[in-house]
Amino acid sequence: MDFALNEEQEMFREYLRKYLNDVGQTKVARNFIKGDLQGFLDIHSGLTDLGCTSINISEEYGGLGLSSLDLVPFFEEIGRSLLPGVYLETMAFAVPLLELYGTTEQKENYLPQIASGSKKITLAWLEPNKSFNPDEVECSAEINGDSLIINGVKTLVSGGDIADIYILLVRTGEEVEEGLSLVLVDHSEEIKRNNLKCVDESKHLAELKFNSLAVPINQVVGPINQGWSLLQEGLLYLNAALSSQMVGGMDRVVEMSTEYAKIREQFGQPIGRFQAIKHRIVDMKLELETARSLSYYANWTLENSSDDRAAAIYSARSFAAEAYIRSASQNIQIHGGIGFTEEIDCHLYLKRARYFENYLGSSQDYNEQVALALAW
Amino acid sequence: MEFTISKKEEAFREELKTWLSENLPYGWMEGKREIPTTKEEYSKFLRDWQRTLYEGGWAGIAWPKEYGGRNATIMEEIIYHQEMVRVKAPPLINYIGIHMVGPTLIRSGSEQQKQKYIQNILTGEEVWCQGYSEPNAGSDLSAIQTNATKDGDCWIINGQKVWTSYGHLADRCFLLARTNNHPEKKHKGITAFLLDMKQSGVETKPILQMDGNQEFNELYLTDAIAHDADIIGEVDEGWKVMIELMLHERVGIGAELFSLEMRFNEMVEIAKEHHVNEKPLLEDRFVRQKMAEFYARYRGSLLNYYRNLTNTLKKGHPGPESSIDKLLVSELNKEMASFMITIQGHHGVLWKENAPVDTVWQDEFLASFGQTIGGGTSEVQRNTIGERVLGLPKDRGR
Ligand SMILES: Cc1cc2nc3c(=O)[nH]c(=O)nc-3n(C[C@H](O)[C@H](O)[C@H](O)COP(=O)(O)OP(=O)(O)OC[C@H]3O[C@@H](n4cnc5c(N)ncnc54)[C@H](O)[C@@H]3O)c2cc1C
Repeated sequence: MDFALNEEQEMFREYLRKYLNDVGQTKVARNFIKGDLQGFLDIHSGLTDLGCTSINISEEYGGLGLSSLDLVPFFEEIGRSLLPGVYLETMAFAVPLLELYGTTEQKENYLPQIASGSKKITLAWLEPNKSFNPDEVECSAEINGDSLIINGVKTLVSGGDIADIYILLVRTGEEVEEGLSLVLVDHSEEIKRNNLKCVDESKHLAELKFNSLAVPINQVVGPINQGWSLLQEGLLYLNAALSSQMVGGMDRVVEMSTEYAKIREQFGQPIGRFQAIKHRIVDMKLELETARSLSYYANWTLENSSDDRAAAIYSARSFAAEAYIRSASQNIQIHGGIGFTEEIDCHLYLKRARYFENYLGSSQDYNEQVALALAW
Repeated sequence: MEFTISKKEEAFREELKTWLSENLPYGWMEGKREIPTTKEEYSKFLRDWQRTLYEGGWAGIAWPKEYGGRNATIMEEIIYHQEMVRVKAPPLINYIGIHMVGPTLIRSGSEQQKQKYIQNILTGEEVWCQGYSEPNAGSDLSAIQTNATKDGDCWIINGQKVWTSYGHLADRCFLLARTNNHPEKKHKGITAFLLDMKQSGVETKPILQMDGNQEFNELYLTDAIAHDADIIGEVDEGWKVMIELMLHERVGIGAELFSLEMRFNEMVEIAKEHHVNEKPLLEDRFVRQKMAEFYARYRGSLLNYYRNLTNTLKKGHPGPESSIDKLLVSELNKEMASFMITIQGHHGVLWKENAPVDTVWQDEFLASFGQTIGGGTSEVQRNTIGERVLGLPKDRGR
């Protein structure tokens, strides 16, 4: 029995923490909100130098050949600093899918560029006024010789303006699920990109319009018309990493509350002595540790292809999503008036928590996935 | 990160499994799990069970070999609890003796005390209880007033204890009494006595609990007598002994957690079988959602426990994080039992032989309230976690 990250993983976390401390933690996100994209790109290359973008890429494509659990410290730390970007979609969706299903050509083309930090990939799934259900995907890709001709609109694309490549869920056939494909689309002038404002301003969202865009057919990931099941596989990786990212945010939220409760004095004593405050922080801590345990295990199941991986990952995701909102909300209350200001980071965490709440499905959707995975 | 258990541990499990299948009370494995209810028969049944455990070498497994134990590792202890929960083994009547008093005696008792008590704890010949709480000293244990005055080599003890579990069945009591007054430092001046319950100065009155059971008692001490030789640790230093005693619970709430896991699985089975409007309950959207949430929470508690256990294995003793386990498990247990009753609809009010599914849930629900109070209330656990894990300022007056 050894249920803990190993020494190297903890050491890697320390490096990352130190690096992100040095650059001011949430300062990067705050500058990004003010429009400073370059600041973020500088941090991105710093993280690349630390090896973050090559963790789970196999060695033959310039990566470190590590696995899901090795991504945990990375995702926790960027969750803590509310880093902008598309790491989740790149490292925990595109990379595992390419590794598992990519053609040699696709791997050679994309993996080294991801590892070197020069390419970022995001996922384009949702369409305007549609749900995440497979029958609501209308964006189409018609086969025309060696090309796919793409028409349609994708919306709420995470990091749409900083990504260089999209993995697009497109309709290539009639069948509800087995008529969908995933296709790698490089960004180009031909794609009309419209930025959307987001409550979490450290997250950029975009709407993408495709008007008879021609993409080589060999850009399809895995077999054609098998996109939906590939997507499900990719979502396991993405949600395992997402749960770690949320844990990282929660960890900081609990820390902020604890620190503030120790130094803020009222009625002649630190507010952390009042049990209304103390017990609330403890409850936040309990949820944090529960979420952390679930997320470690979720990533462990991926690494070990465990039978219970879907139940483990989706329960980790929905638990963390709900708990993150609760603790980020309490954090504001515990800070009193200053918690309501823009100046203090509290609101940034709440907004991030809300951003993740329904990202690629709601907690109810994922609970239902848990039920199905358990054969209920 | 790995969850495997070694070959040796696996062999340990197999050995225990085989032993249990051959030695559990008659009919137990087949589901006839009845424990007599009258005090005498109840006590005899459970003492016999403990004697059987002892004779098979399965009592006090964590104790050192020279004291009759097996020197079991922490992992073996965990496996032991898992198996006991799996077969729904009868409760250990001398839980307090085996898990708390015995190990404390082995570490800090005098030679004479070891000679006198150790063997009888293992065999179940002498059942122990703990006399801490008093009418005016519950969460604030340092406020105890029961006092012991010296008279030659004797101590005369007067006062009242309350909520004494197993007090009515016990032969011995690990008792805290005041031997000195330090109004400034209330936890000073308390002494730990190994008290003989079978004497005229000791009287127990069972208290009827809200779940219908009578497991805890009022304990009246009227010129009860203990000797110098019955003191464990130093005079006035009993607080330290009590803290040590608690540290011996190295696998913490393992057993409760494994029971919770089993109950969760039973809950799923019931929700599959139980039909409402011709549909299994488990197909109801509300039920599915709630059950998926419970799944996350019970798995999370179990995994938390394993994470804390990993720390314990590294350090050799549990840290303050074990309070997190106790709080999570006892509160979750209460909510889960409550939910099980909710989904039974109005039939859920039926009890005992008329209960719609299994009376276990009604019983469990009622009993679950004891778990968030006994052994330190949930509020006190929150104080401990806040102060010792998070480093928040201490409550005034403590
Ligand atoms: C099933 C069961 C078995 C037990 N077995 C034994 C036994 O064998 N031996 C024994 O000695 N005792 C035993 N107890 C007693 C148990 O230890 C006490 O009930 C417990 O410590 C609480 O004390 P109290 O009942 O006096 O409640 P109080 O201490 O009076 O508490 C009342 C309420 O006030 C809250 N409260 C108290 N102090 C604080 C604080 N500082 N901060 C916030 N809230 C606070 C409590 O959480 C609780 O909600 C048992 C209790 C139960 C329920």
